[in-house]
Amino acid sequence: MALDLTGRQYKDVPFEEKEKLFAEIKEDIRFEDYLYGCYECGICVAACPSARFYEFSPRVIAQAVAREDEDLVYTLMNDSIWDCSQCFSCDRCPRKNSPGGLITIMREVAVRHGLQTARDALEGYGRIIYKIMSTGTQVSPDMLQPDAFPDWGGHVQEISDNLDVWRRALPPETLHTTETGWAINDKTIIELYLIWHMTGVMDMIKEVDEGLFMILQDVMEERLEEAGYEETFD
Amino acid sequence: MAVREEIRGCVILTNLHYAVEDHSWANVNDDGTVTIGMTDVAQNMAGSILHAKTKKVGVVRAKGRPIATVESSKWVGPVKTPVSGEIIAVNEEVAKDAEIINRSPYQKGWLVKLKPTNLDAEIAEMLTGDSAVQAYRDKIEKEDLKTCAHVEGFED
Repeated sequence: MALDLTGRQYKDVPFEEKEKLFAEIKEDIRFEDYLYGCYECGICVAACPSARFYEFSPRVIAQAVAREDEDLVYTLMNDSIWDCSQCFSCDRCPRKNSPGGLITIMREVAVRHGLQTARDALEGYGRIIYKIMSTGTQVSPDMLQPDAFPDWGGHVQEISDNLDVWRRALPPETLHTTETGWAINDKTIIELYLIWHMTGVMDMIKEVDEGLFMILQDVMEERLEEAGYEETFD
Repeated sequence: MAVREEIRGCVILTNLHYAVEDHSWANVNDDGTVTIGMTDVAQNMAGSILHAKTKKVGVVRAKGRPIATVESSKWVGPVKTPVSGEIIAVNEEVAKDAEIINRSPYQKGWLVKLKPTNLDAEIAEMLTGDSAVQAYRDKIEKEDLKTCAHVEGFED
């Protein structure tokens, strides 16, 4: 579906809701460093890889936010910001705007408020989020499965069948793992869980994926309790 | 007696009780305990299952809370218990070979056994027999869930 720039697409959503989300974007501590003004030179669009492949424009983002067009910003938060690859090529703006940075803030607001499009965009990343948040490592060797990577060809079957052997062939002992990218120190894990607790990241997860929240909560509370902490994520 | 129904290739056994929204099944055993597992639809949506970690024996769980975490290559999620109670046994086999859930979701791939605390009320909220089949058919069609693919050696 073509991107609707009229701002009328979400006319059923109360204006107060859009105003509230926009105010939250502007309140972010990073906001004043990301937007100064736009003279429509188009350098950000020319540099943007997503603009080549999607109906996406970093300039539209910067201008809609600068004009404080709450209706359009709401549309963009739903239908545009997830097309950005967050490469920050747009940071070459001669006015020092950062459309990519604005998008970072908009995404965080979208996630905090559990917008359906945020849920949809993040749905495929559940296991990666689970890995990062529960272990501190992102890609695990055992993700290499034939059904997940059919484009790798028949070779991936052999790798996955003998994964443990392949991993043990690597010189550093900390890489002899299959469920995590590397062996993780207990102290690191506890510190990581305390960071998630203090920063409210789990509240964001709860908004977009309750199932994921539940299993992370279980893992983290159990480990924290064993280490003598009373923190809970409810 | 179990009657086997198929919806888009997905097997539903009419003697089991189902929490269709959570894709879990429960079987009330003769000794009053309840066995819980994932449905055929759930194993198919997850794809090849790599890890299934059940909660430990002795853990008390309220209905709707996770009794296991299931990981496939690109998905992770909880299996929520449809019945409140204390876990009295876990299937050790799924920890060793999680794909057993893909091969036998209703038999060898069971997850935990619970000693229920509110069985009569909670089992009444689940669906069984023809009404379970109908509810699952509606869900599969409404959400346009993909046809069940069964691995070699699959058993009902």
